[in-house]
Formats: sequence, structure tokens, C-alpha cells
Amino acid sequence: MTGARKYNGPRRSALQRFAAAPHIAWAVLFVIAPLIFVAYYAFTNSADGSFTMANIAAFFTKEYLLIFWRSVKLAFFATLICLLLGYPTAYFISRCKPGTQKILIVLLMLPMWTNFLIRTYSIMTLLQDTGILNSLLGAIGIKPLSIIGTETAVVIGMVYDYLPYMILPIYSVMSKMDHRLIEAASDLGCNGFQVLKKVIIPLSISGVISGITMVFVPSISTFYISQKLGGPSTLLIGDVIEQQYTASNYNMVASLSFVLMVILIVGLAIVNHYTDSDDGGGMLI
Amino acid sequence: MKRFSKIYIAFILLILFAPIAVMAFFSFNAGESTAVFTGFSLRWYKELFRNSNILNALKNSLILALTSSVLATVIGTMAAFGIHHTKNKKVKGAIMGITNVPLMNPEIITGISMMFLFVFVGGLIGLSTKLNFGTMLIAHVTFSLPYVILNVLPKFRQMDKSLPEAALDLGCTPLQSFFKVQLPAVLPGILTGLIMSFTLSLDDFVISYFTSGTDFQTLPILIYGMTKKSVKPTLYALSALMFLIILVLLLISNREKSTAERMEAKRLKAEKRRKEAILRAQKSGKAPRKEKADETKATAPSHNRPIYLNKIIALVCVVAIIITACVAVSITSRQTITLNVYNWGEYISDGYDGSLDVNRAFEEYCKNELGMNVKVNYLTYDSNEDLYAKLSTEAVSYDVIIPSDYMIARLANEGLLEELDFDNIPNYEECIGEEFRGLYYDPENKYSVPYTYGMVGVIYDANIVDEADTGDWDLMWNSKYSGKILQFNNSRDAFGTAIYKLGLDVNTTDAAAWDAALTELKAQKPMLKKLVMDEIYNMMETGEAAISSYYAGDYLTMVDNQAENVDLQFYYPENTNLFIDAMCIPKGAQNKSLAEVYINFMLSREAAVANAEYICYASPNSLVRNDETYIEDMGEEAIEILYPEDFDFAKEYDANCYKDLDPTTKEYINNLWNDYKLYHNTIPAEGEEESTSPNVTWLSITILILFIICIVTIVSIIIIKRRKKHKI
Repeated sequence: MTGARKYNGPRRSALQRFAAAPHIAWAVLFVIAPLIFVAYYAFTNSADGSFTMANIAAFFTKEYLLIFWRSVKLAFFATLICLLLGYPTAYFISRCKPGTQKILIVLLMLPMWTNFLIRTYSIMTLLQDTGILNSLLGAIGIKPLSIIGTETAVVIGMVYDYLPYMILPIYSVMSKMDHRLIEAASDLGCNGFQVLKKVIIPLSISGVISGITMVFVPSISTFYISQKLGGPSTLLIGDVIEQQYTASNYNMVASLSFVLMVILIVGLAIVNHYTDSDDGGGMLI
Repeated sequence: MKRFSKIYIAFILLILFAPIAVMAFFSFNAGESTAVFTGFSLRWYKELFRNSNILNALKNSLILALTSSVLATVIGTMAAFGIHHTKNKKVKGAIMGITNVPLMNPEIITGISMMFLFVFVGGLIGLSTKLNFGTMLIAHVTFSLPYVILNVLPKFRQMDKSLPEAALDLGCTPLQSFFKVQLPAVLPGILTGLIMSFTLSLDDFVISYFTSGTDFQTLPILIYGMTKKSVKPTLYALSALMFLIILVLLLISNREKSTAERMEAKRLKAEKRRKEAILRAQKSGKAPRKEKADETKATAPSHNRPIYLNKIIALVCVVAIIITACVAVSITSRQTITLNVYNWGEYISDGYDGSLDVNRAFEEYCKNELGMNVKVNYLTYDSNEDLYAKLSTEAVSYDVIIPSDYMIARLANEGLLEELDFDNIPNYEECIGEEFRGLYYDPENKYSVPYTYGMVGVIYDANIVDEADTGDWDLMWNSKYSGKILQFNNSRDAFGTAIYKLGLDVNTTDAAAWDAALTELKAQKPMLKKLVMDEIYNMMETGEAAISSYYAGDYLTMVDNQAENVDLQFYYPENTNLFIDAMCIPKGAQNKSLAEVYINFMLSREAAVANAEYICYASPNSLVRNDETYIEDMGEEAIEILYPEDFDFAKEYDANCYKDLDPTTKEYINNLWNDYKLYHNTIPAEGEEESTSPNVTWLSITILILFIICIVTIVSIIIIKRRKKHKI
């Protein structure tokens, strides 16, 4: 019997077999089980724990849909602006000398090492009505802007906080790109735009997609940014979840999280269809 | 083009660094503001090293980051090893799928899902405190694991497969082959994973926010609490310092790396030369003797490098283990009792600006007088409703809480308060006057000891608001000041303002009255700048907002700190709320008798005067009221606001306090409040009412449906395309 078996490399030792066991146990206990609890709480009521659709149904009311729509809208704009700002940055950095590239990447990552709460707060002091931006504008003689408390302010905060998450994956793909391809394309008669469309963008698409997910997911679920930079009318889905959590309204928290999760899973599944190259080229660092 | 790209990169970096530069700049501010620079000083750095809360949180963060990253690295490295050796593609895919879940999920969902697990399982086992260091550790390991695995796994893939086999053939046991051959090969990946999980854990806020309990606060959680109040430049000083440390570390590591890289480049060059020489030698038929010597010289550093790296790593690991062990020992062996005090924000004298740090003074007192090592763990909440939510879930435990009257009544009714043992609170008899005893919320004086009292009034900036508009509640609804008005971010106080404006009874059980109040609040909402609690200080002091109703004592604090171009004034509308906040011990308190000692200490002259001067609320403590330095320090105007003359306290209190309402009404108000929070409307133009709102919803619903349709189409197109591909 053993003779008939195809040779499959040396037999796996017990160590090799069971080395992943602690991780699997951990993941099942602390990743999968909690998600089941979310689903459980989402479909039960707080009084006696019996099955109900009321929590989920509450999501599909006018108020919640409006808030969800606002979250999607602001996250979409933040992602778009990040992409528009980040893509050229990544490209330009990848064209620098290797030494310069390294320094620039360190510089890009540095702000991420400062606590994001403090960075966001600092943005607030910049933008507020009596803030630094307005006193600078006032010094030049321009009428002060009232940005804080608006959706614009929230988008500015998202862009600022998550821009490095867009630049780094795109850069990591672009830095591996063979720049001779670009030369070849222009030698073969492509103009600048065609080079971009036919060579650079297709080659960097996996980085772009992972950049988009890395900006969109935290943007749509944030609550701190909208708390600090937004006003009473810029509530996002994350804010509502946080408010319900502070009020210990756990079933509502669960149902909102559940809906958000399902929608994001569907979205990410679509994105993954585009990027199932297994090199992980878009991973951060 | 070249120049443009340089300018562009510089512009992006400028955007990214502007807020950090602002932060660093204002950490040197002589004044208290984070927006107006008044001069250079290092006082905030001094304040930082004196602030035991921050230092303690920093210590906690480091302990947590260290333990969680080491644990995650061990589990993750083993997992990567196991995954690498898994032959079955499907099993491998499944494991990787589970591994990636925390990366894909938004942080808020990871945090909330773990909170559910801990609360549910904790309830099952019957733990009194369900959220603590352990739960945070689990959470941090969970979100760090994928990063470790994703860093280590590629290193296993890159490793020469024949290496471990060769080791086995040469007589190594599998364990030896792992430690002697494979581990060194993947070490760089492990190290990157360790560093990444350390920094992720150090910086994490969202997941910690949902999984942290009372006795273990990390730095981000503390910062979150601090940014809810008036932020002092201390926080900026802290971040500037941390930024500097990280900058230096990065520069050092980058330098090391680049030296290593230069060596590597040198080696490659030498190898290339050697190959060329061999080629040449083969051609000419001579042995390349001279080059051989050159080769050994050039490759020497590359052989040395891993050993040198190994030593550093070994050292780092040893240090990490030692620190962890020390910490573990110190946690278990220290006989310190922790007293969890849960209070409103900005509601105790905390040693800021030369005042008495009451909590530290209490610790001293316990050490000197009682011979006990006590640590006061001081936490703050935003509103009575938040406090109630925390207490009712039983996910955490506190020893002393300071709720307001109506909340005390509610907690007592629901059996959530311990009866006090007044033998441990001898100061009560002497300090608390007759008018503060036997009030409706605690008729038999069983549960509470009054801490402060006061009234709600309206604060306005006289530089913006016309005197003629002031005097009553209507100012809060005056559309002239739209965008400059603040409202309470808690249901009872916010509804209170509307009910008083309408001239109704604040304790009514008539649903129509509350509906009317909601209508008022909804009409006001488009004119609001923000719903605030402790954030009010900063917003009023800097002139961000001009009108707000708030507690009288806080007005006095704001006046002290107001910016130059702000002139805050205050008045009591004709009818307004009168409240008492009192100290209580919740059910499930771990140290009841010590909590009573704490309450007694708060009544002592020294602590009570320090608190009264710091928080500026009226004090029910007769020792304070008769203290001459106190009256002098507060000033005539303040005393007049806090303790109005000809004021019949008992009568006023009875008429204007918030009472604990019946459950139906409470539930009703709660729903209305939820409704109010979600309510959104732009300022309606005159004459045109709410006509835009239905359109907006229909539009959004249509777009949402379109969005879903788009997703479905894209998915189906992808699936169809895949099928076609497979057929071909």
C-alpha cells in the first residue's frame, strides 16, 4: 500500500501537523465565536432573548437608511480623494532613487505612529471657527470659513487619517514594477496618457484595490472622526453603534454591526475576485 | 516633470505633517489654549511628568503591548510553520480565510463582537468584572495575529525547502531542525511581525474601547476620555515626545538597515566579480587564485551579519521576557487595594495648576493613617445615563459613584445601591446640614452623601449676543445665533431646557408634554453647533460657540479660562433645574468599607475645600461654606451665583428637581431621545417646512437599491466570466 502511494515529500512530523492548532483554536474562539454572538444578539430581543426581526427591521427605517447613506457617501468621497492624491504620490515616490524612496516612505509612515485620536483632535483645532486656519485667513484678509461640523470636515479628517493607507500599498506594488516596461511602451509609440492607461494602471491595480479597501473600510465605520469634526447632523453608522453601545442597547448594536458586516463582506468578496493573485503584493509593508 | 513630482510629494508631506507640527508647536504654549499661542514655556512637559494618570496609562499600554505582541508572535510563528507544512490546499485556504477575518472586518465590529463574547461568557461563568486586562490581552492578540502570520509565512515560502530536510537527514530531530535551521531563516519575518504587533497594540483605540474595563486603562483610552473634555497641551506634549522617540528609533533602525544593505550590495558585487572571474578562468584555463582571497574577504561580513542580528534579537527577547516576568510578579505580589471611583468629568481637584490632588492625598492618608497601600483608580463618565448604562450591564465594577438625585432614586429603586455604614463616615454628622438630608431621592439617608449642588443656567458670550435677547430660555432657540448654540448631550437635561421653555412641569408623565418638547428640540437642532457635555469648556472658552445652558459652577471655571476676545456672561432663567450630586456605593463594590473611608475623606475640610474651589460648584458641606479662605478665593460674584441670597432651598428644590419618573415615561423619553439623535434636517427656509426631507429619503432609498443592483450585477458578471474561463 505504501509502495503505491505517490511520494509526497517527507512525512509530516507531529510538530508540523499541530503547530497551527493553537492559532486555529484561538481564531475559532475569539474570531468566529464572537461573530456568531453578534448574529445571535442581532436576532433576539433584550427582554427574554427570543427570536425577533425587529432589530434588523429597525435598520430599514428612514432615519437609519439616511445615516447609512451618509456613511457610504462620505467614505466614498474620502476614498476617491485619497486615491486621487495618493496614486500620483506613490508613482512619483517609486520613480525616485532607492535611498530617497526609503526616506520618503519612512516620512509617510511617521504620522501614522502618532496616536490617531490626537491627530484628529489637532485637525479639529486647525479647522474650527476660531482655529488656526481661520486666523491665518483672517491675517490675509479673507472671510473666515465655517468648516467644522460639516460633512466636508469629516471627509477632510478621513482623508488625512487614512491617506498613508492608500499610498503605501500602491507604492509597494509600483516599486516592484519593471520600469523598463514604461520605457518600452513609450519607445513603441505610446504617449504619456496611453502609457498610464495601458501599462502603469493595469500593473498597479492590485495595490489600488487593496488601498481602496484599506481606506474605505475604516472610513465607513469610524466614529471618532465624525464625533470630533462633525456636528449634530453628520452622524455616521459608527456613531450610532457607539451611541447605542454607551446606552447599553446591545441588541441594536448587534443588528447595526451585523448589517454593516454583511454589506462589507459582500463588497470585499467582489473586490477579492479582482485580486486573488497570491503574492500579497498589496499588503502593507 | 521631475520638479513637479518633487513639489507634489512635498505638498502631500506638508498636508500629513501640518497637524503634527501644530501639535508640537502648541506643546510649548505658555497658555492653556491649543489654538492661541501666548508664549514659549515647558510647563506642559513638567505637568506631563507630574500627571500620574497619564504615566500610569502609559505603563499599562506598554505592558499590554509587550505581552500581547510576544504572545501573538509565538502563536503566529507556530501557525505560519503549520500552515506552511499543510499539504491540503482546501484546509490551507480555510485556515488563511479565518486568519484574514480580523484584517477584513472593520475594527469596530471586531471590538463589538469580542465585547459580546466576553460579556456573555463572563455572565455564564458569573464573573463580577467581565472586562479587564485579560479581555484586552485576548483582543490585542487576536488582532495582532494575522499581521504576524502574514509577515512570517512568506519567509517560510522563501526558505530553501531542502534545508530542513537536510537537517533531518543529518540526524536532527524535527524540533532541532525547527530551532536550528528554520527559525533563523524566518527570523526577520518574526521580528517585523513582533514590532508591528507591538506598535498596533500600543496605538489601538477602537478595539480597546469596546473591550476595556475599569481597572486597566491604556493610553489611547485615556486620551479619548481627555479629548472629550477641554484638552490641555499636556496631551500635545506627550504626543510630541512619543513622536520624537519614534523618529529617533526609526532613524537608528534605518541606518542599521542601510549599512546592512550596503554590505549586502558589496557582497553581491563581489559575487558577480567572482563569477566573471570564474568564467574568465574557465576560458583561459587558469585557476583564479587572487580572486579567491578577495571573495572570502568580501563575503565575511555577510556571514557575520545574521549572527550579529541574532544577538540583538536574543537580547531584545530576553529583555522583553524579563520585563514581562517582573510585571507579572509585581502584579500578583503587590498587596495594593484598588479603589475604583467613577465620577463626572472635571469633577474633582486633581492637582492641576497647584491645586490639591485629592486622590493622591487619599492614598497618602491611607498609607500614613491606616497603613494600607491603596490605589485610587479614577474614571469619568459624561452623564447620568451613561453611568446607569455601565452599572446595569454589570460588565464592570465600581466602589464609589457620584450620580445626580434622580439617578440615585432610580438606582436605589432598582436595588443597585449599597446601604452606607455611617459609622465609617463620622464627618457626615458635622458637615451636612439639615436641608440636605431626607430629600426625596433618599428619604431615609441610607444611600447617599451629598457632594455638590447647583442650578442650570444659560451661558452666553456678550461679545456676540445682544443683551436684549437674554433673560429666558428663548435665547437657546434664537435663530439669530444659528450655528453658535450648544445643547446638552443627555436626555434629561436637554428635554429639561425644552420643557422649561414651554413652561411645563419637568416631571410630567403626560406623553403629549414630552412630544411637545421633542418638537421644540427638533426645531432647535438645525441651529445647533454640537451636542456637548464636557466638550463645552473648550467650545465656550475659545468662542467656538456663543450660547449654551449648563451648570452654574462650570460657568465660573469657563470665565477663568476664557480667551481674550470672549466675554462670558451668565443668568438663571425664571424656571430652572436644581440638582444635587451625591456620593454612593453601587452594589457589587469590591471594597465597601474602604469606599466609605473615601467618602468620609471627601467630607474633610481640606479635601472638600479643594474640590469646591476646583470644580466651582456650590458645596453642601458646612465646613466649606464657613471657610474664610474659600469665600475669599471664590470672589463675591461667584458666591452670589452659587449661593443666591433669599433662596429658599427646600422649596425651590422640591419644585424644580428632576424626579425619577415611572418606567413607562422613562422608556418613552428614551425612545424620543433616540429619535432626536437620529433626526436630521437642514435649516428650513422661511415659509417652507420639511418639504425637502421626504425627497431626500426617497432619493437615498433609490440610490441604495441601485447600489445593491449594481453589486448583484457585478457579482453575476464575474461568476459568468469565471465559468466561461473554466470551460475554455
